Amino acid sequence: MWHALVLVVVVAAGCGLPRDVDGTLDRVRGDAVRVGVAENAPWTVVGADVPGAEVSGAEAALVRDLAVRLDARVEWRRGSESTLMAALTEGELDLVVGGLLDDAPWTEQASLTRPYTTTRVVVATPEDVAAPDDLAGVRVAAPAGSTESAELADKDAAVVRVDDVADVHDMPVAVDDWRVVPLGLRSTRHVLHEEKHVWAVPLGENAWQVEVERFLADLSADEVVRLLDEAQRSSR
Amino acid sequence: MNVYDRYELPPDKADLHRRAVRLEWWTIVFFVCAVALLAVTLGQSQAMKAAWIEDMLGLVPPIAFLIADRYRNRAPDRRLPYGYHRTVNVAFLAGSIALLGLGAYVVYDSLVRLLSGERAPIGLVELLGVQLWLGWLMIAVLVATMVPAILLGRAKIKIARELHDKVLYADAEMNRADWLTAGAAVAGVLGIGLGLWWADAVAALVIGADIVRDGVRTTRAAVANLMDSRPQVVDGTAEHPLPARLLAAVLDQDWVADAWLRVREEGHVFVGELLVVPSRDDGLVERLEALGVWARDFDWRIHDLVVAPVSHIDPAPADR
Repeated sequence: MWHALVLVVVVAAGCGLPRDVDGTLDRVRGDAVRVGVAENAPWTVVGADVPGAEVSGAEAALVRDLAVRLDARVEWRRGSESTLMAALTEGELDLVVGGLLDDAPWTEQASLTRPYTTTRVVVATPEDVAAPDDLAGVRVAAPAGSTESAELADKDAAVVRVDDVADVHDMPVAVDDWRVVPLGLRSTRHVLHEEKHVWAVPLGENAWQVEVERFLADLSADEVVRLLDEAQRSSR
Repeated sequence: MNVYDRYELPPDKADLHRRAVRLEWWTIVFFVCAVALLAVTLGQSQAMKAAWIEDMLGLVPPIAFLIADRYRNRAPDRRLPYGYHRTVNVAFLAGSIALLGLGAYVVYDSLVRLLSGERAPIGLVELLGVQLWLGWLMIAVLVATMVPAILLGRAKIKIARELHDKVLYADAEMNRADWLTAGAAVAGVLGIGLGLWWADAVAALVIGADIVRDGVRTTRAAVANLMDSRPQVVDGTAEHPLPARLLAAVLDQDWVADAWLRVREEGHVFVGELLVVPSRDDGLVERLEALGVWARDFDWRIHDLVVAPVSHIDPAPADR
């Protein structure tokens, strides 16, 4: 029995495991990758839903790099996360991007890749504002309608809800760590939460998933930050 | 006569028993490690879940064995005048039901996966700076958990036969079920790797059916045990030969005209009643007492035997 098992493993290794159930990787290579994209600036900016309109954002740029690597075109499909995930399950899409996080509830519909980058929401201070030791009672600006606002409220900070923290210059702000330096801020030791970013691929297309994950694993963190910064600038 | 005596195993059996206790502790260590190791490699895949649940349920028989071991040799007392031997039967039932539950879970889980056409995603993992397919890591972990399960199971089944220990036997069966499901999971992961989404569920289904069969057999045996069935050999395949041998030996005594024996299993030991029709009355009390002592020395399993004289025994239709 042991010999049989060893033999199977060796043979399987020779055959280039894993393979796709529906052969996605073979189909995509040299042809087209069908990407579902949901708006989530600066990760993805879908633009106008007219033929020829460009999808932009950091993840859109990364998808184009992946397509180059596979010698394939990108066919963008715009939609909400819900509709895109349903289409992915039914095999109408090969990839869904849109600033997805690793705790997304789509595990029944899709396979989430390994996180390829982690961003942190931190409390940062403008040049002439002292870093608070304790957030209790301190006025801190945070985007309205965000989890950061709630987390600051939990820490008894006096939350000032704003449209964009870039416009705040007189108090500490809750902001993504990659925006700290471009905005001329200084980080404090207060980290509110981490976000682990993933993409979604169809369930069971394991060769395709491994190819996508290899691409994502080879990315450098600096490259992702550079793309995010670029996307953020062009959107303002 | 001391009615509150404790039961001790003969020295060679006691040695074996101590070995069994050690094996059970090692089993617990092994399963705890396996549960932790599998939890880390589980990922989003359903394929290894059965093997994981299996390892958790695998803790039930050794724990039952070790708890029963704490109690079974206690002397009878006012509350439990028959002693504590039956803790072993209770542990046997617990172990059997764990086995049955495991089989039922594996069958249910793989049927659901098969019918819903579920496809397991297994992606990339980075281990010590090397990128490899997570499936290879899963297979490595599964094979690593198979080896101790096979070795432990084999060692236990031998001791279980010697000691007439059904808990240990059920546990050995559990170890067998364990490495079989791990093997099925290996086949399943390879199947997923080959793009055969159904291979994994089908393999698990076949193994699950086998475990259910084992579970039903041992649960039936455990319930029959608690119903005071005729003693069975440890794997439940045949009647135990000892009661018939003892009755024949009693009938061989020259002052015994007729005799009737009824015994049940209380854990390792046999307990019951012996009715004898004496052919002469002189020194009857002494002879009956001596017969009781003689029966206990007849075999280490005979423990608590009430010997009573009667004038005659009607052949019962049930006694075939």
